[in-house]
Amino acid sequence: MNTIPRVFGFSLLLGTAGLSGCAGHPSSDSALQAASADFQQVKEDTNVLRSAPKDVIRAGELLGRAERLSGYIGSAGDVTHYAYLSSRYSAIAREHSKLLLNQERLARLELERQRLQLALREQKLAGAQEQGKWAEDQIMSLSTNQTERGLVMTLGDMLFDTGRAELKSSANRTVLKVVQFLQLNPKRVVRIEGYTDSTGDSLENRQLARDRAQSVADVLSDLGIEDERIEVQGYGDQFAVAANTSERGRAQNRRVELVFSDEKGRLSAPR
Amino acid sequence: MRIRPLFAALALASLFGCANDPAPTEQLKLTEQAVRQAAAVGATDDEPDMALAQGKLLRARADMQDQSYKDARMQAEQAELDARLAEARVLTLKSEEQLTQMNTRLNRLRKQLGTPQ
Repeated sequence: MNTIPRVFGFSLLLGTAGLSGCAGHPSSDSALQAASADFQQVKEDTNVLRSAPKDVIRAGELLGRAERLSGYIGSAGDVTHYAYLSSRYSAIAREHSKLLLNQERLARLELERQRLQLALREQKLAGAQEQGKWAEDQIMSLSTNQTERGLVMTLGDMLFDTGRAELKSSANRTVLKVVQFLQLNPKRVVRIEGYTDSTGDSLENRQLARDRAQSVADVLSDLGIEDERIEVQGYGDQFAVAANTSERGRAQNRRVELVFSDEKGRLSAPR
Repeated sequence: MRIRPLFAALALASLFGCANDPAPTEQLKLTEQAVRQAAAVGATDDEPDMALAQGKLLRARADMQDQSYKDARMQAEQAELDARLAEARVLTLKSEEQLTQMNTRLNRLRKQLGTPQ
């Protein structure tokens, strides 16, 4: 008879340990309420239902389980757990729905972009035909050389106004040619490098060089060349091609160079 | 003396209330996969849900070591969903960035075309 109370006491101890191991979460009610509110919100949102029906269903199932468990004593920990999982599924469903809406908007905007690119190309084409009837134009030095850096095309100083980064409309023809070339050679990529003469502050020169290179890149991108194929560098007054002592030399140094990769997309390293 | 096995059974039952869960090996694999996938799309500890997921995964592994299988399962289940939410948030964020970029491009195009925005 001596052993019975001892066993009894032991089992009682274990029993309470088991209880406290599982329970002791006073916040289970509020977790349940939050999960319920989250679920109400997603299940009434048609966009969420459309984009993540499975997640909404899981949120509902887990909420149901949490609600059923809340009827039992000592299950607060489980209630909190399943309420948490339910809330997470609701949140995941909301994110999926946001993503889908964004993707749909992106697809619509992409169509708009293609339409505008086409319009811009036509506009530039009309402008170029008016200006030069596709004949060589003296104001732009359009020269392409095969160098150790690859195929290099130089856009001369006349395509920009002094101190300004925007490409003038007289560049239309050249730009269209570049676009056409890149479209015919879909694997080729291009690095656009800006240079200035040595007049003025070298930091500012570098910025202007970069801005000019970027504005050429922007036009190429506007005309439908993928951004991934375009690199931009501003070298400022470095790498002069002529002496900066004469006006003629300085004009030659103010330039934007387009360095094309080979037909496999291999581009020479930047300078 | 006949009553003793009953107490023993009671004691065991109260233990089982928490401890008879099988080792959640599959759940842990699922969780690890979810965390990997979130990391693959670019979720880092900066994403609060990703940090949660990683913390809970660590705890789940420790619980496995201690054979606290129920705790391990709960931690792992929560960590899986935390990771999946982190992944979804990162993807949404990326799509928002794409939208911003697209709008910049469209504005530039409209400007070039000379049409009002």
